Amino acid sequence: MALFQTDFPWLLALTLAPLAGALACLAFRRSDAVCRALGLATSLAVLGMGGLLFVLLGGPRGPGWLLREDFAWIPRLGARVSLGLDGLSLVMVLLTAFLVVVGVGVSWRREKRSAPLFYALVLVMESGILGVFLSLDLLLFYLFWEVMLIPMFFLIGIWGHERRLYAAIKFFLFTLAGSLLMLLAILGLVLFHARETGVTTFALEALLGTRIPGVWAPWLYAAFLLAFAVKVPLVPLHTWLPDAHTEAPTAGSVILAGLLLKTGVYGLLRFGFPLFPGPARDSLPWLAGLALAGLFWGAWVAFRQQDAKRLVAYSSVSHMGLVLLGLAVANPIAFEGGVLQMLNHGVSTGAMFALVGMIAERAGTRRLDELGGLWARAPVLGGFFLFFALASMGLPGLCNFAGEFLVLTGAFRASPWLGAVGAAGMVFAAAYMLRLMQGVLWGPPRSDAPWRDLSLREGLVLAPLAAVVLWLGLHPQTFQDPFRALAGAMALALGGGGAP
Amino acid sequence: MSLPEVLSLLPVLVLAAASLLVLMLGLWVKSQALLSALGVLTALGAGALALLVPPGVPEAGGMFSTAPYARFFTVLWSGVAALTLMGSVRYAAGRRFPPGEYVSLTLFAGAGMALLSAASSLVGLFLGLESFSLVLYILIAFHRGSAAGIEAGLKYLVLGVTATAVLAFGVALIYASAGTFHLPEAMAGIAEGASLRPLGLLGWAMLLAAIGFKVSLVPFHLWTPDVYQGAPAPVAGLLSAGSKGALFSALLGLVAGVGAGLRDLAPVLWLLSGLSMLLGTLAALRQENVKRMLAYSSVVHMGFVVMGLLDSSFAGREAVVFYLVFYAAVSVGAFGVLTALSSQDGEPQQLAAFRGAGFRHPFRAAALAVFMLALAGIPPTGGFMAKLGVFAAAIHAGHLPLAVLGVVASLISLVYYLKLVMVMYMSEESAPPLHRGSVLESLNVAVCLALVMLLGLAPGLLMEWIGRVL
Repeated sequence: MALFQTDFPWLLALTLAPLAGALACLAFRRSDAVCRALGLATSLAVLGMGGLLFVLLGGPRGPGWLLREDFAWIPRLGARVSLGLDGLSLVMVLLTAFLVVVGVGVSWRREKRSAPLFYALVLVMESGILGVFLSLDLLLFYLFWEVMLIPMFFLIGIWGHERRLYAAIKFFLFTLAGSLLMLLAILGLVLFHARETGVTTFALEALLGTRIPGVWAPWLYAAFLLAFAVKVPLVPLHTWLPDAHTEAPTAGSVILAGLLLKTGVYGLLRFGFPLFPGPARDSLPWLAGLALAGLFWGAWVAFRQQDAKRLVAYSSVSHMGLVLLGLAVANPIAFEGGVLQMLNHGVSTGAMFALVGMIAERAGTRRLDELGGLWARAPVLGGFFLFFALASMGLPGLCNFAGEFLVLTGAFRASPWLGAVGAAGMVFAAAYMLRLMQGVLWGPPRSDAPWRDLSLREGLVLAPLAAVVLWLGLHPQTFQDPFRALAGAMALALGGGGAP
Repeated sequence: MSLPEVLSLLPVLVLAAASLLVLMLGLWVKSQALLSALGVLTALGAGALALLVPPGVPEAGGMFSTAPYARFFTVLWSGVAALTLMGSVRYAAGRRFPPGEYVSLTLFAGAGMALLSAASSLVGLFLGLESFSLVLYILIAFHRGSAAGIEAGLKYLVLGVTATAVLAFGVALIYASAGTFHLPEAMAGIAEGASLRPLGLLGWAMLLAAIGFKVSLVPFHLWTPDVYQGAPAPVAGLLSAGSKGALFSALLGLVAGVGAGLRDLAPVLWLLSGLSMLLGTLAALRQENVKRMLAYSSVVHMGFVVMGLLDSSFAGREAVVFYLVFYAAVSVGAFGVLTALSSQDGEPQQLAAFRGAGFRHPFRAAALAVFMLALAGIPPTGGFMAKLGVFAAAIHAGHLPLAVLGVVASLISLVYYLKLVMVMYMSEESAPPLHRGSVLESLNVAVCLALVMLLGLAPGLLMEWIGRVL
């Protein structure tokens, strides 16, 4: 802890470090090799900082702040660069740092067009995501929220597959539609606060206590909810997701599924629920319903897909439905499970996208009826595929199991019906994953072209992912400890532990 | 006018005198670079004078204020004139513009805008407006080889003169209702209970119509796309940044003078703002020509500024001024990029000409992409902070539906701004390379880019300044 007694702004440095790397990439844009190295070095450095924070600040923690930083920014508007790290943001920061390294690793030498721009965009996006997870000022949060959007738009649009333009603009419009309404709601909230206290401020802590005139509170909450629900995504706002995930380059899919979706849930936990507890409580039954709808709808549509990448994309809709179910039942166990499930999903789906990317590179197709025989042709790659697919299905001992178990336990406690229906959704997950494995792993090879097995670089990307999957499966406490008390406090503040 | 009064207008006089001097010099000196350098230095000097030398008296001739507010805009328009001149050296030389006239007229436009922003009476308003409008009539049609340019100039002239007539009539009616040209007293004529209130309101309506024409608010906007398309790119930037901004800076003073009477004007402003945002956006969607798209985009942005005008509180006026500064920077920057990509034979105007520019011309294309995102109001650019201000103003003044309309317009507008960005970065094939550009042009673009980003990342600096001058 002595390390953090000093005045060094750790959080600010963490947020801005990727940005510095991005600028360096643009400065050295003549050499692809230098930029790749810069991309990797920066993302590893951020992972190092995140890891250090986790080692020093992890372990069982209370619900309070572990680190707080505050700098002047726009005095006239009462907006400040206000960053805070608690147990929840700690694990999200760690996940971000880890998955960006994975993203850089999977795209090594893969992005033919303008590598410097590619790495610069990935790093800018990392800054944005870290900023979202750390901001405690609504204006700053909104700024980072949009900053992570633009690089993703370019990643999909420049390096994506066939229908990339359509996917890129659809992604941008959907997310912006939600967030612009949230911006109006933020302004409304700030103006209400100013009218009540005479102080204009965007600070979350100050705004928490704002008394919002009765008719307005549900509307403001709805605007926040809409912005976050688009990101999560909540059915029926999910239609941008399959397109964006499928068309994005592999690194983009990994970051999109692993991180961007989580910002929506995080936003609800950090801002949506605490700012508007009353309307949030009223919305919980609806959220639970939509979460279950997403769980089943995503699974069903995933089952029907022919495109392996699209299948994984829809599986995200299904998994995020479960995360949201955890939030919607609003008791400590389910909340804890929901947050844990975010980590699980981030790692396992990130790995699935990386694998599908590697297979599509070799086969030249992602269609299940044209793939097959991976097990026979590339046993190591096939082994990893089996491993991560089983993890994604929720096999005990691998990552998703613990999170799903906690969410479902919480759901049972809230209402046996919810728990039962949710548990039935797990069967669906098994169905589409089995179909994916059947299509990719087994059966006769459809062409005679020789495949090389896993390269060293690919192994270096997949091995850490596998290790983390095992860690999350066998000893999730390491990651649960920092946010357990916090999740409990949040759930109690929201639902009082009762049924929705 | 007494000597102290004349001296207090020194920055504007410097611009005007330099304009005449350059015009004379143009008879002998044929170097565009040399005369432009002189012009840039004078404009910067005038800006520095306005910034550093405090005026001796608060008002000159009962027509022009020398208050900090006026000085602020003198600095801004001097800067715009300097940047425009700096960015258009190669452009003007390549098209064989008579160097003396071009530089002289641009400086004079800067002087006119500064006068308009400083107007403290309706006469001053008229004088300032006319002095730069006349200049723009010429500048728009300055390229004699371009038929589109001549057409644009004629169109602007005919409609502009009509607007001037309407403005003069409106001023006369307001004078009749209040008995004075001086502001804000002249606005007392429309106060509730004033004996000649109907006359004053009619005058106001005509004034608004004329101003609506000049800043191209729907339904007075029809000239805008043609003029933008035909005018030389740097002149279009000047028109977009300066002439509209200067009018709004004057309008801000007018509206502030109305006080409680604003309640009756609010529905009109509401309608002008809403229509401009909505119809401008829908029209811009269909454009394949970048300059026409920027023209309709300016219609939308002026709608946003009017939205800010609806809130007469300090925050509302601050938001309007912030918006004007941002819009000046982004307009000069965007048209600066178009200028820098132009060859002697023509400007790239069609979207197709920009295919693959993102990789062929990395700096200028990136700058243009940032300007597009800024116009769309995406953080962390200045466009976001500007829109935030006017949205907050609208909500504060109780016009939430208008703010929602603004959000819808912003969202749709993203489609056409992103279209250009996507063409530059995401097309399969590349168009023939555009011009390499010159150092001065890149410097112009870089300054605007830095300003646009600074306004987004540290808007507090400008806000403090505006707070001091309002």
